[in-house]
Amino acid sequence: MPKFFLNKRLIILLVSLMVLVALIGFSLKDRSELTWMEKFVKDTVVFMQSIVHKPAQLVAGFFENVNDLRHTYEENKRLKAHLEQYVLLQSEVESLKKENERLRELLEKKESLRDFLAIQATVIGRNPDRWKETLIVNKGSQHGVEKNMAVITPQGLIGKVRSVSPFSATVQLLSAKDRQNRISAFIQGDENVFGLIEGYDEEREALLLKRIPYDAKIKKGQRVFTSGLGGIFPKGLFIGEVEEVVADEYGLTQIAYVKPAANFYDIDDVIIVKRKIDMVQEEEEQ
Amino acid sequence: MNRFFLSSLVTVVFLFESIIVQLFSYPLFDVYLLVPRALLIVLVFMTMFVGQAEGMTYGFIFGLLYDVVYTEILGAYTFAFPLIAYLVAKAMNILHKNAWTASFFSIVAIASVEWYTYAIQLVISGTTMSAPTFFQVRFLPTLFIHTIVILLIAYPLKQTLLKWGEKQDESSPM
Repeated sequence: MPKFFLNKRLIILLVSLMVLVALIGFSLKDRSELTWMEKFVKDTVVFMQSIVHKPAQLVAGFFENVNDLRHTYEENKRLKAHLEQYVLLQSEVESLKKENERLRELLEKKESLRDFLAIQATVIGRNPDRWKETLIVNKGSQHGVEKNMAVITPQGLIGKVRSVSPFSATVQLLSAKDRQNRISAFIQGDENVFGLIEGYDEEREALLLKRIPYDAKIKKGQRVFTSGLGGIFPKGLFIGEVEEVVADEYGLTQIAYVKPAANFYDIDDVIIVKRKIDMVQEEEEQ
Repeated sequence: MNRFFLSSLVTVVFLFESIIVQLFSYPLFDVYLLVPRALLIVLVFMTMFVGQAEGMTYGFIFGLLYDVVYTEILGAYTFAFPLIAYLVAKAMNILHKNAWTASFFSIVAIASVEWYTYAIQLVISGTTMSAPTFFQVRFLPTLFIHTIVILLIAYPLKQTLLKWGEKQDESSPM
């Protein structure tokens, strides 16, 4: 017995194992904020990374450009066809917008869940560990970013802010496995059907939209948007299209597989979204 | 060579891991997930050709950075990197120091760190990946790519580190 305790290396190993377990437990706890040490370290590394990132991106961008050039002709043809539809659509949007404003004034309802402020951010890193898909972006609490804000690309929703430090933030992608990754969403149709995005099917590469009422009729190809009911997300951010609908294990609700519209790889710039209605409330509180 | 050569080398490798994943984030052939472990290679080579103390210190510091900045699971790499440096140093008591053993130990280290992180993710339910999928999709391709990389850089890396180590010994007055 005394010999066992005299073995210094073994004791060091055991102590560090205990510290390891304690630290993992600490970091798994649902923390609302990082410690100031973590924030400081993170910002320092992100600052250095943003210096190295520029030349690296230039080199990678060159190869991408060469690749793009090869497909230019076909793409051009396709885009020209789109352009004509686009003009029509734009005039329609314009008139609808005006009508919406007028009706809003009539109702004296100024703010809406749909309005949001956009914070542009550049992605300067990704988790190299690749177990949890997260991005590091170069905007932080100094620029108004807060935890749990929605993050989008022009194609659609990609995730939410996981943690913030003064000059950087970590974005958790929708494809990351996290039980707290719940997003209130609705399926657009003649009658909007509400549900919750809970989880991601890695094999099918589709999001799971759960808790849809069993009698709701949903077709393949219907579009899914955020509902804005969950708290911090604004309404109407595009998530994706329904791929398939199945009954859940008890048959009480339905589950829809939603193909995300945004590409979770190859993301260079993102938009962090701040809901306007919250800002109005904050001002009133002050 | 500069006094700060070693620390800047490790820092640059550390930063590049994240940037490379960001620039080439598509899975290879749409299936295979490649995980960069260049930091680990440098760590093993450093332990062998510069010294155990350096290996363990850098392992601890950069393991901690890795945890804080990238994974946000504190402790996992902070524990693994110094332990690997320690085990490599112990194994060197019986084996010869050359580029081949260093390459071999780097590959073993990458393999064990991959399984170690997989085990941790399973325990904290951070993944639903089954062991066979993990083996095919992550483990084998990562190991394969790194074997090629190691074979390419083993000799120059060894020479650089040895030369740097000698310079440091000469310049230190003690």
